[in-house]
Amino acid sequence: MKTINLTMKKETSIAIEFDNVLPEMLYDKSQKEIEDTVIYRGNKEEKLSDYFDIEVSGESENSDDCTIVINGDLSRVKRIGYYMSGGKIIANGNVDFHVGARMSGGHIIVNGDAESYAGREMTGGILEINGNVKEFCGASYAGEWRGMSGGRIVIRGNAGKQLADYMLNGEIHVNGNCDILAGVHMSGGFIQIDGNVNQWIGGQMKKGTIVINGNLEQILPGFKLQEIIHNPFINGKYFIGKYHLYSGDKGVKGKGNLWIKE
Amino acid sequence: MEKPITDYDEVVRNCSCSYCGNNCDDITYLLKDKEIVGVRHACRIGASKIINDKDQRLLNPMVRNSEGILEETTWDIALDKTAELLYNSVRPVLYGWGETSVEAIKKGIKIAEITGSVIDNQSTICHGSSIQAFQNVGHPVMTLGEVKNRADVIIYVGTNPMDDHPRHLSRYTTFPEGFFRRNGRKDRTIITLDPKYTNTAKVSDEWIQFNMNEDYLLFNALRMLLKGEKLDEKEIAGVPIERLENLVETMKNAEYGALFFGLGVSQTLAKQKNVDVLIQLVEDLNNYSKWSMLPMRGFFNVSGFNIALTSETGYPYGVDFSRGYPRFMVGETTTIDLLNRREPDFFMAVSADPGVQFPGYTIQHLVNIPTIQIDTHWGPYTELSDIVLPSTRVGVETEGTAYRMDSIPLFMKKVIDKPENCHSDEWILTRLYERLEQLKQMEDE
Repeated sequence: MKTINLTMKKETSIAIEFDNVLPEMLYDKSQKEIEDTVIYRGNKEEKLSDYFDIEVSGESENSDDCTIVINGDLSRVKRIGYYMSGGKIIANGNVDFHVGARMSGGHIIVNGDAESYAGREMTGGILEINGNVKEFCGASYAGEWRGMSGGRIVIRGNAGKQLADYMLNGEIHVNGNCDILAGVHMSGGFIQIDGNVNQWIGGQMKKGTIVINGNLEQILPGFKLQEIIHNPFINGKYFIGKYHLYSGDKGVKGKGNLWIKE
Repeated sequence: MEKPITDYDEVVRNCSCSYCGNNCDDITYLLKDKEIVGVRHACRIGASKIINDKDQRLLNPMVRNSEGILEETTWDIALDKTAELLYNSVRPVLYGWGETSVEAIKKGIKIAEITGSVIDNQSTICHGSSIQAFQNVGHPVMTLGEVKNRADVIIYVGTNPMDDHPRHLSRYTTFPEGFFRRNGRKDRTIITLDPKYTNTAKVSDEWIQFNMNEDYLLFNALRMLLKGEKLDEKEIAGVPIERLENLVETMKNAEYGALFFGLGVSQTLAKQKNVDVLIQLVEDLNNYSKWSMLPMRGFFNVSGFNIALTSETGYPYGVDFSRGYPRFMVGETTTIDLLNRREPDFFMAVSADPGVQFPGYTIQHLVNIPTIQIDTHWGPYTELSDIVLPSTRVGVETEGTAYRMDSIPLFMKKVIDKPENCHSDEWILTRLYERLEQLKQMEDE
């Protein structure tokens, strides 16, 4: 088991991009090679060791056996776990845009808040955020009509606008509250929101399932009540309580399921 | 009552106005001794912009000295200094471009590419969200000529052209006689959907007031009604269902429908998704009649920037070249967000005034970084700028191409000579690009 500890030593207002700091790219690298890893800051290429103290312990034969731990104020560190396919990243601090974006495997834990586009277009793996996330979590790239298509995102705090925009598949669980337009254009997958939801959830949704355990401020006219069920079995587990099942969005002839706890 | 202008010695016809996205190309300039003394056919705003051209005009390049005062200098010094600052910056932003020619914009894109800059325009604070929606779900387009000749039902949503685009109604949509609309206004039905009773609402046949920030809900409900679904609610977004049903009937029965929308749609709560669902409503209407839509673009070539940049990079605004290839992400590579995050270390505004357009918090950052202005007139941004490069007016002192709000390219004539020590944006950007290339060559050697 190889562990790479990165501790931020120099702060920057210009964001750093971490595309090259992935378990699959560093698991077989020496301390020197890791220190020389290229990171991007604005229009310049710099070395990882310019901004981080690096400690490496243990050895690994594949990326799954490698963990990268990043400490410090990471609010200007973008693309942590971008395109990640295996291994583990633990970020101890608030992280910048695109954490876990396009990831296909492995496990990312963020012990803080995440900026927008967390888990964007992710196809596999687990992204756990022990704080709040901003807009477009699990969504698509701007102009793209395919969002998250696999994997699992767990948000312990609140989620911002347009969660799971254009979601195709996968699972998102929000422990806290959710802002407007969650699951908009969704055509598959599963979203569970334990807190309260602002208005217009599931707009233009075609397929997929959304469960709301808190209060919903306003439901769109395109959703029609189908039935009321006690302790429904949804997505492989029982939800305890009385749930109203709506179907929609009829505006796009959608057959999505919206479960709202009474 | 103003007296008609009679003291002129030359008339230049069929000029294009350089004020709003209408790009009225029937303007006549009255000249005396090679100076514009009068303007015919333009609206009051367009005419005022041209006639009051001399007021607060920037006439020489300036550099701010160590005491914080702008001092006149030579073009060589000002351009060398700009090139050096831009070349050595890590997160430069090149903003503006809405009031210059496509020819200058293309030079700007080359500069952004060579310097790894972010290039962005006024769309970031106006119709950027509309363009995102166009890229997501398509866009049933039309030209203003089609509207003039064919449209019998015209709907304005969240826009007030009577004040913002004063000749829009008289030239294209409401009052003109068209090939299939021989009786002009009498052959057309004008409906305004707006939370406010605007001047456009006043001249409309019907004003439908809806709750602010509930555009998304309203358009969704209209789609449902159009599909024949019954709604349980008595009113949606503050509008009684019967009124919405009547509106849907009017829209279905149109021979040619044209819908125009403004920032009242693209900048309210659901932003891009408002436009997204509005586009789908218009697409659905095409099952019953011919319907198209257009955003009411503000500056005369704000649309041209989006077209030029999309043609070069695939993205319409907020394009980041920092990694050598174009990237675009709303909130990440867009100017206001970058300034809010305190990222830029260089800012150049070309034919735009961030001092007027930007929120206060973002302007605070502009005070702390090198700022360059390429523009024709003194404005709030001049007070922030470290270097000022005086340029010329497209369509008055310089010829060039601009795109109207319906994406029709129009040639803009040169009518009078420029002030002696001012140069066109294209000239300035070409010289700047040459200097940047020289710096790059020196570094490579």
